Order: sequence, then C-alpha cells, then structure tokens
Amino acid sequence: MTPTPAKRALPPKESSLPKTADQILKKFPEHGETLCMKGLILTHMGKREEGLELVKKGVRLDLTSHIVWHVFGLIQKGEKNYEEALKSYTQALRFDKENMNILRDAAHLQTQLRLYDGLIDTRFLLLKLRPNLRQNWIGLALAYHLNGNLAEAKTVLEQYERSLKNVPDYDPEQSDLLLYHVRILEDMGELAEALTFLDVNAKSRSIVDRIAVMETRARILSKQGTRADAEQAWRALIQCNPDNTSYYHGLFRSKDIDLGDVKNADRSETLLLLRDLSVQNPRTITPKRLELMVASVEGFKSLANDYILCGLKKGIPSLFADLKPLYLDTQKRAITEELVDGHRRTLEEGFLPHESSGNVAENQDSDVPTTYLWTLYFLAQHFSHTGQHSRALSLLSTAISHTPTLPELYTLKGRILKRLGDYYKASLAVNEARLLDGQDRFLNTKAAKYKLRAGLIEEASDIFGLFTKKDAISPGADLEEMQSLLYLTEEGNAYRRQGKLHHALKKYHAVRKVFEEFEDDQFDFHGYSLRKFTINIYLNLLSWEDRLWSHPAYIHSAISASQIYVQVSDNPSLTGAILSTGKKSASDEYDKTISCPAGLSTEEEKKAKKKAKKAQQKQEELKKAATAALTNEDKTLDPTPQRDEDPDGIKLLTNPDPLERAWKLLSPLLRLSISNIEVWISIYDVAVRRGKYLQAIRALNYAKGLDASHPELHVRCLHFRKLYESLPSSSLASAGTVISIALEALITEKMTLEAYNAQYLQRHSASARAALGAARGLQILNSPRDEIEGVVFGTLNPQVDLPLKVSPCWRFEPVCELSAIHRPRLMCGHS
Amino acid sequence: MTSTKKSTSSKVTFTSLTPNNLGTVRKLNSVLFPIKYSEKFYSEILLPEVEDFCKLIYYNDIPIGTICCRIETKDDANHLYLLTMGILAPYRSLGMGSYSMDVILQAAAAHTKPKINRIYLHVQVSNDGAKRFYERHGFKENGIDESYYKKIKPSGAWILEREIQPSHSEPN
Repeated sequence: MTPTPAKRALPPKESSLPKTADQILKKFPEHGETLCMKGLILTHMGKREEGLELVKKGVRLDLTSHIVWHVFGLIQKGEKNYEEALKSYTQALRFDKENMNILRDAAHLQTQLRLYDGLIDTRFLLLKLRPNLRQNWIGLALAYHLNGNLAEAKTVLEQYERSLKNVPDYDPEQSDLLLYHVRILEDMGELAEALTFLDVNAKSRSIVDRIAVMETRARILSKQGTRADAEQAWRALIQCNPDNTSYYHGLFRSKDIDLGDVKNADRSETLLLLRDLSVQNPRTITPKRLELMVASVEGFKSLANDYILCGLKKGIPSLFADLKPLYLDTQKRAITEELVDGHRRTLEEGFLPHESSGNVAENQDSDVPTTYLWTLYFLAQHFSHTGQHSRALSLLSTAISHTPTLPELYTLKGRILKRLGDYYKASLAVNEARLLDGQDRFLNTKAAKYKLRAGLIEEASDIFGLFTKKDAISPGADLEEMQSLLYLTEEGNAYRRQGKLHHALKKYHAVRKVFEEFEDDQFDFHGYSLRKFTINIYLNLLSWEDRLWSHPAYIHSAISASQIYVQVSDNPSLTGAILSTGKKSASDEYDKTISCPAGLSTEEEKKAKKKAKKAQQKQEELKKAATAALTNEDKTLDPTPQRDEDPDGIKLLTNPDPLERAWKLLSPLLRLSISNIEVWISIYDVAVRRGKYLQAIRALNYAKGLDASHPELHVRCLHFRKLYESLPSSSLASAGTVISIALEALITEKMTLEAYNAQYLQRHSASARAALGAARGLQILNSPRDEIEGVVFGTLNPQVDLPLKVSPCWRFEPVCELSAIHRPRLMCGHS
Repeated sequence: MTSTKKSTSSKVTFTSLTPNNLGTVRKLNSVLFPIKYSEKFYSEILLPEVEDFCKLIYYNDIPIGTICCRIETKDDANHLYLLTMGILAPYRSLGMGSYSMDVILQAAAAHTKPKINRIYLHVQVSNDGAKRFYERHGFKENGIDESYYKKIKPSGAWILEREIQPSHSEPN
C-alpha cells in the first residue's frame, strides 16, 4: 500500500463522524475526494454543470485517489461516454487494484466497447477475487466466448459445474447455463459430446425448457447426420407445434430434401409425406401450404383449388400475401388466376364453388356473399401485383358497391393508387378506411403515412394525434419518444420532398438518436443478464447489437441526410434560399404539384407557425413542471433531457461542416459489409468531397462488386476518373499508386470517357434508369445541352422500360430549366 | 329452413355503437337509405339508454347492416321508435333481418328501466315488401301519415306498431 498522501488524510473526527460534505469542505476546501462526492451528489440532484465542475476540480486536487477517478468515471458513464469512462476506471484501478465495484463496472464498459482482450483480464481478476460468486464464472466463460475462444469458455464452464453442490431441482437459471454449455459444444463441432450432455441433463430435469431441448436435439442430430434419430426428433417437434414451418424444413433436411428446392425424383415422396403430416394434424394449414410450394405444375391445380377456397370461405384477409411467393413460378401464377377468376364467375351465378374432394357442403349458400367479396379482394390484389392496375381498381369498385364497409378494400385501393403514382387520391382512400373504424391503430397509422406520402404533413399529424399521448408537446414528439421509425423516416422524406431540408435533417437525425439509444440500452444487460443467468438470449442480443446499424431505417436516414449534406456542401447558397423564404426553393415544382393542392402553402405556413408557438408554450409549461419536480427527486446520472435548442433543424442545415456530419452518419455502416449499393455511392460522394480519395475509390470498387452496371455507379466512375486526371500528383502523395491501381480495377476499358459513356448507354439502352445515368455522365463531361436532352427524351420511347419509380429522376436539372414545355409530358411518362 | 336459420344466426353478431364505429354506420346509411341523416340522429343513437336498441349487424365478421331505435315517452308510456333498419343488398333473404328484429324485440321485452310498452315505425307506402316483413313480426298497420316524407315521393307512410309483452314477471 502506498502511504496516504498528507492532504487526503482527514483528522479522525472528520473521517468518522457523519459530517456533511459541506461541513468537511468548510475546514478542508482542497479535499479532492469530498469535492468529488459533493459533485456526484449535485449531479444526482440535477445540478449537472456545477457537479461536473466540482468533480473535475476534485480529480485535479487528488490524482492518485481511486475514489476521485471512480466518481469521474461514473459521471462519464452517465453521459454515455464509454471510452472516457473506461479510461477513468483504468486510472481508478491503478490505485485500487482489487476493488470489486470498479472491476465490475469496467467489465461492463469493456463489453459495451467490445474490448474483449481486456474483458478477459477483468473477468479473470473478478473470479480470482470472488470464486464463490456464480456470475463470476459465467462472466469469464462469456468473455472467452465473445473473444472467440470457445475451448477456454468450455473449460471454465466445466470447472464451474464440478464445483457446484446442491443445485435445487428445476432451477431455470441452471437450466439456461446448461443449454449455454451445449451451445458452446455445438459451436465447437463436438456434436457427440453436446448430445450426450444435453440428454443427460434433460433426463435429470436439470434443463427445464423442454422445447429448447427438443429443438437443440433435432438440430444436433441433423448436423451429425444420424438420420433416423433426426427424423424422429423433428416429427416430435411437429407434433408439439404443427404450425412452425422450420420444423418441416428440418424434417426434410434429415432426408436430404431441401423443401425450398425439391428435386424431381424426390417430389412424389415429399408430397406424400406432407399429405401424411396434414392428415395427422388436421387443424394446421402449414403442410398444405408447403405442398403448394413443392407440387409440380400438374399437381398444383387441385391442391391450390382446395387451399384457396378454404381461405376465401373463411375470409382470411392475408390469403394473397400468403400465396404471393408462389408467383415466382409464372405457371403457378397463371393457374391461381384461372382458379380464382373461375370462382368469381361461379359466385356471380349465385353458387358456392366446392372443393375437389367432392364433399359438397350442405346449406352453405349463405356464405356466398362474403366468399364472393373475399374473391374480389384477392383478384384485385392479384391483378395489381401483375401490373394490371385498372383491372384491379374496377374489381375493387365492384367489391365496394357490394360491401362498402370492409376497410381492407379501401386500403388496397389506396395501395394501388400509390403504385400508380397518385399519392393524393391514395391518401383519400386509406383515410376512408380509417373512418370506418376509429379504434384501429393500424388503419390510423396507414392513413397518416399516406398523408405524409402525399405531402400533407399537418393533416398527418392530426391523424397521428388521435392515438398519441394527449399531454405530449405534439403528436410527433410523442412518436419520437416512442421511437417510431416509420413516423420519423416518412415525415423526414415528406419534408425533403417539399424542400424543407432543415426539417428533414431534424427527422433523420432523430432516427440516428433512436439507434444510439438502442446501442446504449444494451449496457444494463451486461450486468443484468449475468445476475439473472439469461445467457443465451444475452448472446443473441449482443450479436443483434453488432449489426444494429445495418437496419434499413437507419441506412435510409443516413443516406438521405448525407445526400442533403452533400447538396448543401456543393451549393452553400442553398441554405440561405431555404431559410429566407421559409418554404420551398430547393425542391423543384414537380414535388409540389403532386404533394399539395395549389394555393395551400401560405396558409399552411401560418397554421404551422401557430402550431409551433403553441408547442413552444406547452414545452415551457412542461419544463416548469419538470424543474419543480426535480428539486427533491433523484435524477440519477443520466443527463436531464435538455430543451431542444434547434427544433426546426436550422442549426443542422447551417452547420459549417456538412460533410463531417454526413461522414459521422455513414461511418457506422463502413464495417458492416452492407449489400445496399446506395450506401457505397453515398460513402463515395462524401469521401471524395472530403478529399479522402482512397476511401472513395474503395467504396466504388465495393459497389462494383454488388452491381457493376448500376447507373449511379456509372456516374461516379466517370466523376472520379475525371477528377483524378485533374489532380496534381503531388496532392495524392503516397496514396497515388494505390489509387491508380484501384482505378484500373474499376474501369478496365481503355477508352476515352466519352466513348465509355456512350458504350454504357448502348449496352443498357432499354433501361430508363441507365439512360438517365448516361445523361448525367454527359453532364459531367460538359457535353452540349441538346445532346443531354436527346438522351433524356429517349427514355420516352415505347421500347424503353420506364418504371414509375424512376419519375423522381426527372428532376434532371438542365431539362427542368430549359424545357419547361416538355415537363408535363415527362411527368406523365407513358404509364 | 330451420337449419339455414341456425347456421345464419351463428355467423351473425351485434355490436353496440361507439364514436369509433359510427363511420361504419354512416357508410351503411349512405348506401341503404335515400335520406341523409342529421348530426342529431348520430348523436342520439350513441346515448347509453338506447344501447340495447342501436346495433351494427355483422355477418362473418363484416358489418352488413344496422338497426337503430329511440325511446319516446308519452303519457307515462314508453314507446320504442324504429328509426332505421337495413341490410346490404347481397346479404338479404338470408334471415338476418328477421334475426335482428327478433333480437331487438327480445331486448325490448326484457327492458325494465324504462319498461317498453310498444314499438312502432314508419314505412313508405310504396314499400310493400317492408310492410309484409314487419307484419310477419307481429306489427299491425295503424293509419297512414300522408305527408311523412318531405323530400321523396310517394310522401305517405304507413304507421306500423306492435305491443311489447314483458318477458319477466314484475315483482308485486
């Protein structure tokens, strides 16, 4: 032990008496540990700034005390600043090597930061200090496991299990631990050992989760290749739960049959067995649905007839969604159409079609009207799916005059109109569905989402507000707190389409915040899961967290926001234009024409302002109430929710370094090998503008691996080649050769950029997207305007495939400026 | 036809009216009746005292009809007045109207606070089918109101009525 420094030691009176920190500090104002304690208490009382100041001062005054560092670490941890917190804990441990609390906290931080080498050391020390604590053993095993050392994890578990005495029967904690042991053995490939271990512990009832035992058994037997036993195990599972499709897949895998891709030779045997299972489990439709998947075209018709009729008579709304995957086989699609349209005709004559098995149901005539209705609904979905939207709409209008009270009819109508590009009428249709049942939150959310798609942001908010907390600042604020990704992305997109880029950024950043919270939320589980022995599910949680940022909602928001930042960085005057008019300007007229009826915008503005003012008032009130409640309440170490300094996202938009912000959004995606090509295009766009050429070209090469002919990639390739040629070689320094090698891998053709672009256009002449890519290529190459326009208008040729979704690409700037006359033509496309 | 009736009734359910499903009532009224009903109508059918007599009729879980009454008090007697009753066209002749009528008549007979003495309604004089339907359910014609309908022709309406016998013995 180091001797206690003079200025830390307090006279016995002060250290033994329960004096308050203030009283001590009166006598010893320079006492670091007491200052820190006072700071910690203040922070707990909500006086964050003041508390932090004191703690920092305390640390400065007593750099060798473990207490001051521990307190500092606690505060940093509360701020979710895990890196810095771990540094403070490491300092604290230097002066008090065996402090259990600090060690445990440090372990949690190391897990959060995925620093598994350090975690093993910490866990090892904890176990050495307290081998009688069960969780210390599991902690060490987990640390080895997370670091990829399964063998060590296994050894630790074995030692632990040997040391156990008097485990109570039916202990769920012990049960999960044993299952974890099996999992390690299975992952190590020691299947025989895993199976024996599982069987012994299942028999002794030490593992209490019967389904987990059965599933694990079946899985291991299948991996082992012991067919008869595996088959037995899967059959037992099907008996338990005949609705679980994966059990059927398991059963057939044990017979070397892949249900998703059955070979002709195996087909009749497979169908026979499925039929058997269906007879054995008459209450499930799962094997019947699998039969449809496996059946050859010849056998499909009668199976499908029974299956579909059963669904139509029962009135299963999801029948089409259930069958849609079968449409990958176009013959099955055609047969389905023929069958259902046949039913429609039979029903129109007033009869109920019957199943092929021939049992004509007696007295079911009364079912005719609803069966007919569901048949129309199915057919409308079918025809919309196959692109015959007007036929679908006419079927729907028949259905609506038949039974105008079924909400599904209106939501489908909305969806079809949306597919046709009429977002406004689509929103009316879905709202009609909502009015039929005000209690249905699904309909409510759909209706509001369609309003957002149509640009009716205010109206959407009112609809959302029917279900959100009444005391929230606004419906949106409540939905943000509830982490509704749908709301945040859709409203962000709606603002973006209207050119209110600051509002859009605000929403996209709110999405990021949600994911940051998801990431922070795991912290508590590092301790909790060990205490409660929920190990298996905890491991699943960790691997989910590792892939967290690849969530589609995050990817979408990150890309959208960085596109805005790039736009602002390329054209800084944009921000002024957006903010000075207070409304659109960055967007072109195209969006506005579809999004809101003309003449509405100024009124909308006024309404929005009024609403904002009201929201502000409400926020002030809430804040007052919060501070009032704060005085005698422990606010813990989480920073108190601060007032939003930038409710409209103006600070985000006017940020002096937009590219840095964009990069911060994109960087979590870099190491996740994401297969969405737009991610890599965005990474390129930001990296190249930040002068990170190596990063930029690597992104392009990655994108090339995903889709070499993607139009966005084509444009970037041209862009980079042109840029590279213009760069003075000195600016690249040592990276120059690496870049030029990467560039050669990217564009292998030895030709001029003009020829390269022309070749691209020629190769993909039937695709409108590709043509637009080539047009932008021409733009980059400074080609004459009429040449660019020629390519753009070329997409209107009947032989070019022009999907509706391409239409936003018509925001093609030179065309919009020059050829206003043509724009109506462009907007109609040839749909 | 008893079996049909039985299978029908097992598929028919009734739901009380709430502000949330009122949209469905509006939708049904708009296609079933030639009259646009006032907001007063819609607020009255939501009153708690008429809950037993104002229903949405579901068939196989789809709303296909509605029946709405109000309670009128005259000279210490309580009358149930049938405001609207309708089933969507494709679902008629399946016994649902009769079944719904029976349900309402039973509810009226069982009602105690207040006790219901009589149920009555108007039927447009051209609508013989409707008149026969109510007569099958024990209603009798009690005069004609010649100028009942203001906006549609013919403007006359039969007044049909039926006594209600309490289904339970009153404590003496």
